[in-house]
Amino acid sequence: MDAVEKANTERQKRWVKDQKVGEGTYAVVYRGREASTSTGRKVAIKKIKVGQFKDGLDMSAIREVKYLRELKHQNIIELLDVFSSKTNLNLVLEFLDSDLEMIIKDRSLVFLPADIKSWMAMTFRGLEFCHRNWILHRDLKPNNLLIASDGQLKIADFGLARDFADPGYKMTCQVITRWYRPPELLFGSRYYSTAVDVWSVGCIFAELMLRTPYLAGESDMDQLKTIFRALGTPTEQDWPGHTKLPDFVPIGQFPKTPLRDLFTAASADTLNLLSQCLIYEPRKRITARDALNHAYFFALPYPSHPSKLPKCAAQLTAQLPLEELDGNTLSGKTNRLKRKLSTSEDTKSSRSAVARRLDFTKPTPGS
Amino acid sequence: MANRMNWLQGKTVRKNTPAGSHSRSSSTPQVQSTSSTIFGGGVKDPSGRITEYSSDDDQCPVCKSDKYLEKKLRLLVSSCYHKMCESCIDRLFTLGPAPCPICNKVLRKLAFTPQTFEDLGVEKEIAIRRRIAKEFNKRLEDFSNLREFNDYLEDVEDITFNLINDVDPAGTEARIAAYREANAALTLLNSQRDEAYILSLRQAEEQERKEKEARAEELRREEEEDRLERESGRREIIEKLERADGSNAAKVIQQTKRKQAEREASRKGVVPGKGAQALLRARMAAAAATAAMKDTPHIPFQDDYYAYDDMFVLQPVYVDPSSEAVRKDREGIMRAGGYQVEEAWERAVRSAVASLDLWPIDSSSDGLQTSNIDQGGDVIMSAA
Repeated sequence: MDAVEKANTERQKRWVKDQKVGEGTYAVVYRGREASTSTGRKVAIKKIKVGQFKDGLDMSAIREVKYLRELKHQNIIELLDVFSSKTNLNLVLEFLDSDLEMIIKDRSLVFLPADIKSWMAMTFRGLEFCHRNWILHRDLKPNNLLIASDGQLKIADFGLARDFADPGYKMTCQVITRWYRPPELLFGSRYYSTAVDVWSVGCIFAELMLRTPYLAGESDMDQLKTIFRALGTPTEQDWPGHTKLPDFVPIGQFPKTPLRDLFTAASADTLNLLSQCLIYEPRKRITARDALNHAYFFALPYPSHPSKLPKCAAQLTAQLPLEELDGNTLSGKTNRLKRKLSTSEDTKSSRSAVARRLDFTKPTPGS
Repeated sequence: MANRMNWLQGKTVRKNTPAGSHSRSSSTPQVQSTSSTIFGGGVKDPSGRITEYSSDDDQCPVCKSDKYLEKKLRLLVSSCYHKMCESCIDRLFTLGPAPCPICNKVLRKLAFTPQTFEDLGVEKEIAIRRRIAKEFNKRLEDFSNLREFNDYLEDVEDITFNLINDVDPAGTEARIAAYREANAALTLLNSQRDEAYILSLRQAEEQERKEKEARAEELRREEEEDRLERESGRREIIEKLERADGSNAAKVIQQTKRKQAEREASRKGVVPGKGAQALLRARMAAAAATAAMKDTPHIPFQDDYYAYDDMFVLQPVYVDPSSEAVRKDREGIMRAGGYQVEEAWERAVRSAVASLDLWPIDSSSDGLQTSNIDQGGDVIMSAA
């Protein structure tokens, strides 16, 4: 037994697998705990099946390890350990009870403006930390924002993450779940930046207030139409150069309607932040750093203390939620309940295939 | 009309109240249970302590029959606050909604309620206040300061007054509707909170009752045991005396009594402490759970990462062959997607500065040291 193997078995011994909580195409998720202490910190162990893929390890597993190893922040899921067992790779992740989607869907909960403010502040903090470390998340949506038992929100699922700010490599535009995808990606831009994540956060912000997805398009084309219907068709002045983007198609003219019409009860600074997250021109869109300094967060009421945020009933039983750890790892009935990256009709055309699949069937651009 | 309430500066605007209905009602009110009424409404009181109002002078203003002619006369109040007897109600409203014989407002049979108060003005005010309290249930915590809360209470009182005295009914209803729309979520939340509070009170009451019962039961059991013990002790002494000879009878009695006292002490010592301690622990746990954390103001960053911003100055342009293609396309498709070559430069410079492992400049010290421009003119750096 050489030193590497020895170190590996030592690491493996630190964790105990308890029971299986979900299975997907490339990974099985177990609930587990730390072996050393008697109380044992609860963890989620994600076992990645290696042998099945001809191309080697799945891309999202590599991305998850690559970026989570770098990021340690209160509002980002913690990767505690990585070890191998036989032919499998095991990721030991922080155990989290539920996600924001479950909370939004739980009709018995009432959100106060202060609760929404608290969630938004935590999301922006986590996102700002990713961006300052030059990482784009590229799949922000309520079910990737997990909620810990103490109420802290944590960004999870770095399977689509990528580092940015390189001297002009092409990136894929088939990322981010459709409802949260910004217009520049829908128009096929291959060069983009942090603004894509901010758009997603804007959609989540609106969803928290409406309790239903804000821009829910049925296909990529319909998504653009939905966006324009809600926010008005952009002009060349609103967004210089967008007509030259690779997949640009004129979609029809929709008038600009004030956000106030839909968000009747929101305060002025709430709407101001929301509108700044949903600016068409990506360079003018607010950055996570500026958002954290926005007047909205400083105005009364103060953001709720995390321990006081609404919790859904499932969180109290704490049985199901582990499956939510990563939308991609699951298949079968649990997956049907989720927002999928694409619908079945999408997979017909190769252009609009599932982003994740694209990543390993094609040579991934610029990764 | 001594007992008619002169509503706030005598602005009583109540119309069409039949004068007889309460000017003559000074005689002793008769107590009658509301539990068997077929009509809903009125004051709801599950304990049954509140009773329906009726008096010997009752007379139906519609058919003029009174207690003398009709022993079972029972007057009910309409939603326009007019009284009439049950037989008139049956006669007029059985075939569906019909106008009130006094004020012509369209009424339904089911909207009649039993009378609780002698003065119908009070009846009306209570109904309105109950309705308003259900909608306007904001609390002090929902406002940023006391002043705003007081303004809100003032508004609520204003609306209530308008409704009671029929001042601008349409405008007032519009105000209520607007409030309802703007505060639907909060109202729901507060009503849930109220319910939860009532539930917790009821549970605490129930808990206390059970504890009391348990204590009483315990006491009873103890007494019974004591009695049995004493009896068996006496029997023991007698048995022992039977066998013992006369000389050491006193000793035997003493011995047995001492043993009994020991037994009793050991038994009593254990029982009372345990229950009380468990109770105290449960109370403390409950108190800890309810003590909510205080909300704190927003702090944008929890570290000093951006303090490093003042350690470099980004130049407008760099000699960078690898980003040539991007820079040629200044307003083209790369820019439209949000890509900025400056970010790549910033990343490079920032990484370089971070790797120097210098402390950020203390913003309080005014003596910024002379900046160094390196050979390429790329980075201007200063270190404290």
